[in-house]
Amino acid sequence: MIETPAALRPSVAHERAKSIMPSSESNTTPLPTFEVSNLSIWYGEKPAIQDVTINIPSKTITAIIGPSGCGKSTFLRCLNRMHELIPRTRIEGKVLFQGQDLYSPGSDPTVVRRRIGMVFQKSNPFPTMSIAENVVIGLKLNGVRNRTLLDERLENSLRMAALWDEVKDDLRKPGMSLSGGQQQRLCIARAIAVEPEVLLMDEPASALDPIATMKVEELIHELSAKYTIVIVTHNMQQASRVSDRTAFFYVGKLIEFGETTEIFAAPKEKKTEDYITGRFG
Amino acid sequence: MPADKHILSRFDEALEALRGDVLMMASLTEKNLRNAMRCLVDRGSNLCSATIADEGEIDELEKSIDADGVELLRGFQPVASDLRQIVSIIKICSNLERIADQAVNIAKRCRKLNRDPNPSDTEQINAMFAQAIGMVQDSMSAYRMSDVNLARSVLERDKMLDQMNHDLATTLTTTMGLVPERITDYLNLLFIARHLERVGDHAENIAEDAIYAASAEDVRHNKVQA
Repeated sequence: MIETPAALRPSVAHERAKSIMPSSESNTTPLPTFEVSNLSIWYGEKPAIQDVTINIPSKTITAIIGPSGCGKSTFLRCLNRMHELIPRTRIEGKVLFQGQDLYSPGSDPTVVRRRIGMVFQKSNPFPTMSIAENVVIGLKLNGVRNRTLLDERLENSLRMAALWDEVKDDLRKPGMSLSGGQQQRLCIARAIAVEPEVLLMDEPASALDPIATMKVEELIHELSAKYTIVIVTHNMQQASRVSDRTAFFYVGKLIEFGETTEIFAAPKEKKTEDYITGRFG
Repeated sequence: MPADKHILSRFDEALEALRGDVLMMASLTEKNLRNAMRCLVDRGSNLCSATIADEGEIDELEKSIDADGVELLRGFQPVASDLRQIVSIIKICSNLERIADQAVNIAKRCRKLNRDPNPSDTEQINAMFAQAIGMVQDSMSAYRMSDVNLARSVLERDKMLDQMNHDLATTLTTTMGLVPERITDYLNLLFIARHLERVGDHAENIAEDAIYAASAEDVRHNKVQA
């Protein structure tokens, strides 16, 4: 096994917090991976997220739903500081990741993005790389050179992404030679190869056909045993199928957050009801 | 039901049509139940046969509503209040069909009773009928108007109907001992009372579905507070 670099390990504070939690509570309420409080984000003068407070429990799947422009992708990106890649972005409020402030001066965005992986709407394998190179590139960039370890992580990641059986004989072929659904699972394999603790997914199946979508959904379900997953989706049936909890955003505000079964059976807020039943606008 | 219009007008139209169908089915069921009791009071065997024959229309409506409900679920994958509406309609429709079955059972018992020229004592049965049909009407009104309080009142009234059935059974059993030559008539009356008690149970189920449709609360198998 590859030793996880110290920067990628869960914080000591988080581990301590786990140990002092009452056992009865820890059985029912998972510790939050993210504790977001009073978060606001602006692109220039334009507010994208306004005063959002939400706790995202660990090893669960949280779906973010809402109409276009409601801030759901911005919210997702702020969980691993990806939004900072957009110029003139300003943030207020707190985002604690396993008890540590993601935005404290000592927090390195590169390390943050290693611990909190991301899968995008459009599959984006590196076009000049083989399937194998695509998966292990993150490890190589982190200085891992041991061939045995790289091969081990390559196979494990592809197996976890439910792609190994389909590509094990074609590992040297270009990543771009795969189908759209396979490319997306390759990107998921690439994301999990560096052993993150969280996977953020921005509409990971929106460009896929129904069969490929179901494979990705099944994969998300299996990965939730090991990772905290936050998924942005426009597909409400998908949110309803794959997630444990659902958050509904509207014009940059968090309108409602709760158990997915409750949100889709009996939402408390009228705006949520109107949106999910198609009575919006 | 949500007050605002659905973005897909076809969905609103289809759901409204489904609601209309289940309300029509409720009207037909109520008419059948009233006719079944008229069989007992007016002692007309033709009416008994007509009531029994009318059940076919209700059976067809049940199948049609089920099919339309499944089609709405398949085509629109509704959620929240829309999903609750459709699920409740399908369940209400099943209970209405069973109430119609009870009306047929009553009509069949009446046909047997009517063979005897001596009219039976139907006063207590009439009181049970008034209670049962009132529960059916109010449970459907509660559904139509999303009136949770009215639906809850139906749940409470079912206990009264059960008590009336129990009291009538005691009276009839005692009478059987006193007038043994008419034991068959009294047994038929006992069965009619039992059918009315079952009508009350189905009305209670409809009231529970009305509460679920309106508020998402599942009150089944809860003990009603006295």
